[in-house]
Amino acid sequence: MKILVYLKQVPHQDARLDISSDGTWIEESNIKFEINSYDTYALEEALKAKDSEGAEVVVVTAGQDRVTQALRTALGMGADRAIHIKDEAVDASDVLGVAKVLAAVAKEESPDLILTGLMSEDSGFAAIGPMIGEFAGIASTTAVVGIEREGGKLTVERELEGGNLEVVEINTPCLVSVQTGINQVRYASLKGIMQAKKKTIDVKTAADLGVGDAISPKLTTEKVSVPVKGETAELVEGSTDEIAAKLAAKIKELGLL
Amino acid sequence: MPSLSQQQMLEIFSGLVAVGSCLDDSESLKTYGKDWTTAWEPCPALILLPASTEEVQAIVGAANEHGVALVPSGGRTGLSGGAVAAKSEVIVALDRMNQLGEFDPVDRTVVCQAGVITGQLQAFAQDQGLVYPVDFASADSSQLGGNISTNAGGVKVIRYGTTRQWVAGLKVVTGKGDILDLNKGLVKNATGYDLRHLFIGAEGTLGFVVEATMQLTSTPKASSVLVLGVPDFLAMTNLLDAFRKAFDLMAFEFFSDRALNYVLARGGTRPFETVTPLYALLEIEHVSEKTLEEILEVFERVKLQGWVEEGVMSQSQEQAHALWQLREGISESIASKMPYKNDLSVRVSKLPAFIEELDEVVRRSYPDMETIWYGHLGDGNLHLNILKPEDQSQEHFFQTCNEVNRHVFEIVEKYGGSVSAEHGVGLLKKPHLNYTRSATEIEYMKSLKAVFDPNGIMNPGKLV
Ligand SMILES: Cc1cc2nc3c(=O)[nH]c(=O)nc-3n(C[C@H](O)[C@H](O)[C@H](O)COP(=O)(O)OP(=O)(O)OC[C@H]3O[C@@H](n4cnc5c(N)ncnc54)[C@H](O)[C@@H]3O)c2cc1C
Repeated sequence: MKILVYLKQVPHQDARLDISSDGTWIEESNIKFEINSYDTYALEEALKAKDSEGAEVVVVTAGQDRVTQALRTALGMGADRAIHIKDEAVDASDVLGVAKVLAAVAKEESPDLILTGLMSEDSGFAAIGPMIGEFAGIASTTAVVGIEREGGKLTVERELEGGNLEVVEINTPCLVSVQTGINQVRYASLKGIMQAKKKTIDVKTAADLGVGDAISPKLTTEKVSVPVKGETAELVEGSTDEIAAKLAAKIKELGLL
Repeated sequence: MPSLSQQQMLEIFSGLVAVGSCLDDSESLKTYGKDWTTAWEPCPALILLPASTEEVQAIVGAANEHGVALVPSGGRTGLSGGAVAAKSEVIVALDRMNQLGEFDPVDRTVVCQAGVITGQLQAFAQDQGLVYPVDFASADSSQLGGNISTNAGGVKVIRYGTTRQWVAGLKVVTGKGDILDLNKGLVKNATGYDLRHLFIGAEGTLGFVVEATMQLTSTPKASSVLVLGVPDFLAMTNLLDAFRKAFDLMAFEFFSDRALNYVLARGGTRPFETVTPLYALLEIEHVSEKTLEEILEVFERVKLQGWVEEGVMSQSQEQAHALWQLREGISESIASKMPYKNDLSVRVSKLPAFIEELDEVVRRSYPDMETIWYGHLGDGNLHLNILKPEDQSQEHFFQTCNEVNRHVFEIVEKYGGSVSAEHGVGLLKKPHLNYTRSATEIEYMKSLKAVFDPNGIMNPGKLV
């Protein structure tokens, strides 16, 4: 079995973010990046399959030089090889363009299963999974919290609103985007990361994949900004009894009851 | 001190606090009468919950007039019996003085009443985009008054120092009943004795801490948590040296495999399958994009030296938290074993020789008892816990430990170390104070106490 895992490198959850000088993204220099946490669950799901029944796990990402760190970490955790799409045109493209490039990798690799995270923590489109599925011509499903495999068929549980679950059967090859919490992600072994230096990272461009012409962005970011703090909060002060009375009066005044 | 009846006590004190703030039901007496230690039966006379500095002052006044002993009480997470009331004392608990006051964004200070919970201040700092960097496992229960009175340390001392470093100003009610406003938040103040620092670590023996101006600081950059499997103590101290040379560490903690097993019995997963006698936990700030590379380089080097067998690094906040739990969960995981707790420290440079000798003596002295090692190695601070065998009575166990532990303290003395690095002296370490402080020094300490608390009403029997 061959499993392809798409992962993205995003700013660390704790990173202090400043808006870049052109106002269209964040200042990326000097912050720590890590693997998008949704994607770590996808990777773990692949590594679990590798541990239990044997599989080749190939990790794929697109981005500048720094993303090799994410690939090396994934290799250190147990992935077998990595593909790095290094192409400024891809970086400058939009979610649709990136999906086309990533789908081209899927076509080249013909995996039995593609796993990725439900969304990225930085841009949060939650769209790339289904887009890749579409461009690669395979079925896809999203927000998966449980996967069972039998022969050429997966039975997956999808998380719906209000704590409900939907059970879906899907034939392989297919793409599954996973929700966080689907498993417990293993730690990255430092020894593993060191040894991963010996594993291969293939570097490719959109042109190498035959999609160089298809990725000019249809979407551009106008502006990124920090929400303005509201001035409308009203502090109710006093003893507990006074506060309770004031709150009750306010609720009546606003006609909330 | 003259013994007054419960009724007399109530008459003297109950009117000094608000209605409902004087407790004498048996449940409250039991709860408020003890801290995390288990050696003493709680037996307080009353519990008072003042709501203001003036109420505290009035209580101190009445206690002086009637010769009543007072025990200041914070979150009662103390590990040395400092907040224990076993001799019909009146407990003064600061729980109701829990307000955060003025925040100054220029000075980056915030005024806190003594009963503010440590975690409350940490959360407030975070809301301001800043950090209150003193942190430990009991931070969600301990109070600032207690932290200041024990000069609490914790897991980030190697980077941020102890509580002392973060107290910019302090308001106290002395045992004599005076209110002192100490240092007023100044960074520089060369006007003689800094009385603020006398009250820090005084364990409530000089007076009450009622308010503190706490210093906050910038949030560090993102960090990674590493857990490394280490074969022995010598390798551990070599490791500390290697990583300290390469990074401005946020934390360097250690624990033994036995300690880890106690934590895992309550949940969590091993960091890696390889079992090693000891583990180091490091937190390293990513000051540049190169940090990860540098961590791997140092790891490679220490691995070649044989100082590390295995290692993992957190990939997310959840993983960082889970790794920290392996260390921070230890104290709670062994609590039911009624451990005899040692909280020892020496200068970091003396750690290798000190640990070697200590390890030898512990093996010899406690052949039949389970010993659990962990602590803040980066600060030269070791928590050595002796667990009570199931079939031994608590009294007998503590007696044996007190006796046998002499050999431990003798080594501490030989290396110029401390018998209480961060837990304070209280009742538990008082008999052993002489291993760290000279007789003359203790006499000076007693004289100082007499200046602030001439009638000896403040936490008598503790510390000195
Ligand atoms: C699980 C666990 C982990 C811990 N880890 C650490 C650690 O890593 N580092 C560390 O340093 N400690 C640690 N401790 C010990 C303890 O949490 C600290 O000593 C803490 O500072 C005590 O605060 P408290 O409010 O609970 O004080 P208490 O236990 O209530 O009191 C401690 C002492 O201070 C006095 N006191 C309390 N409030 C006042 C006041 N307002 N004015 C005057 N005197 C007062 C008391 O009389 C007593 O002598 C740990 C404890 C536990 C249970």
